[in-house]
Amino acid sequence: MDESSPDSIKLPRSTKGTRPSFFDDPSMDQMMTFILELTTEVAVLRERQDSLERLLDERGTLSRADVEAFRPDEDGEAERTQWREAFLERVLRLHVPE
Amino acid sequence: MSADIEAQFKPTHDEHARQRFVSMLRKHAILDMTQKLKARYDESIEPQLQAEGRSPKSWRDISKAMQDDPVYRFYSSTRYNAQEMCFMSVQPTIERNFSDLKKTASQAAAEATAGGSLTLDPGLELPSYVTRLDIHLAPGYTHREYTEDDIASGAVVAFGGKVFTGQHPYRRSYGAVGESVSYFVDKQFPDLKPKHILDMGTCSGKNLVPFHDRFPDAELHGIDVGAPALRFGLAYAEHLGVPVHFSQQNAEQTRFEDESFDLITSSFFLHEVPVVATRRILAECYRLLAPGGVMVHMELPNENAVSDYENFFWNWDTRNNNEPFYTQFRSQDPAALCSEAGFSKDSIFARLIPDYASSGVEVADACIAGDRPTPPHGKGGWFVFGARKER
Ligand SMILES: C[S@@+](CC[C@H](N)C(=O)[O-])C[C@H]1O[C@@H](n2cnc3c(N)ncnc32)[C@H](O)[C@@H]1O
Repeated sequence: MDESSPDSIKLPRSTKGTRPSFFDDPSMDQMMTFILELTTEVAVLRERQDSLERLLDERGTLSRADVEAFRPDEDGEAERTQWREAFLERVLRLHVPE
Repeated sequence: MSADIEAQFKPTHDEHARQRFVSMLRKHAILDMTQKLKARYDESIEPQLQAEGRSPKSWRDISKAMQDDPVYRFYSSTRYNAQEMCFMSVQPTIERNFSDLKKTASQAAAEATAGGSLTLDPGLELPSYVTRLDIHLAPGYTHREYTEDDIASGAVVAFGGKVFTGQHPYRRSYGAVGESVSYFVDKQFPDLKPKHILDMGTCSGKNLVPFHDRFPDAELHGIDVGAPALRFGLAYAEHLGVPVHFSQQNAEQTRFEDESFDLITSSFFLHEVPVVATRRILAECYRLLAPGGVMVHMELPNENAVSDYENFFWNWDTRNNNEPFYTQFRSQDPAALCSEAGFSKDSIFARLIPDYASSGVEVADACIAGDRPTPPHGKGGWFVFGARKER
């Protein structure tokens, strides 16, 4: 690829093959991609905020580098996993009976 | 010891968050939404079809009836997007860390402290079924190269694969299938004590490496057509101290001599090739096995082994996950394929084996001995088939 040199590369963000359409209007397929990407961005932002709060609880102050390097301990990660699961249940609420 | 290639993958805070979340999105689609879809089918779609006198007679009927259903559509769309996002979520990290990843792989190959090796064949013609489309939506799959001595595609499949299985309850250990198959082989064929093991379609060897723990004296060989995956694999195995001989070969026709191996394995491989190639590969296994040697392929359960609904579920990938040979492969009888390849009928097996890491030794032994039912494929069990060459 043009932009690639021996030590830097640019990988394709799309796949070879026919993309299926699951809806009557393919715009809906595109819309689902927008929604799921946006959902992911919200989750990432939420996690960043959670990192800020945890760092502030712990130290009362923080730097960008602290946030960048922050990874929660096992309990913190378990809490986040639960949050992600519940968040997806809420956002992707299907119209089906309980 | 070689440096850890996995440690060169250094996601930023937000990349890490995205990767973790996409794991959950994929699990949500494949487990949670799947359950809701099944309930939807049982409670409304099937009763409706029955009321109209159109009870489904095959998985195709079920598939047809599902196409207009909103739950099916959103499930499918979520699953498709989640699959793409698994690989996309690791691409920026790989691009940024590329030079370190590549350097680590080159060093591992140059030093080979564990005693493994890498033999590439730049002249090898890649099968068109591998290059025509990006299998299971991995951009570039295992073979595409962007620069010299490239490992990027290997890294995308390896790290993207970890995002993919990150929240899967039965794939907690990285080489879960290799662990389970090697344990099964040891229990089922206690006299075999393999000395030369070949894994076909090994990719980066994650399901081959566990054989070293079970059979430490055996020489391990892994073949694949994808050079970037093999380069990545050597670095991965060398860091673990496991000597693996990786070589770039087409499993339909290898360069090994007759009777070179006493155990041949594969996992998640045969459903990716057309059935004509599967036939050649099984015949190649027969040629390569020494008398008394065993082959075990971990695969999707075949059509006749599961219900119409499950067939509808598995065959979804054919059109929707760039897996064009899924349905064709699953429609075959694995025993017939083995028998055509030369194996004697009474040596052929097709069965479920327990997932070793999640079941524990006692349960695993009971399942292997048949004293206890093995959980279904992907839910605590794995489907395998194979045969033993006559002595
Ligand atoms: C889904 S991967 C399985 C990877 C690995 N066995 C595992 O369990 O993680 C299938 C692999 O088969 C390889 N492959 C496809 N056709 C092949 C062929 N004819 N000969 C050798 N390898 C092949 C692909 O490059 C890919 O790495």
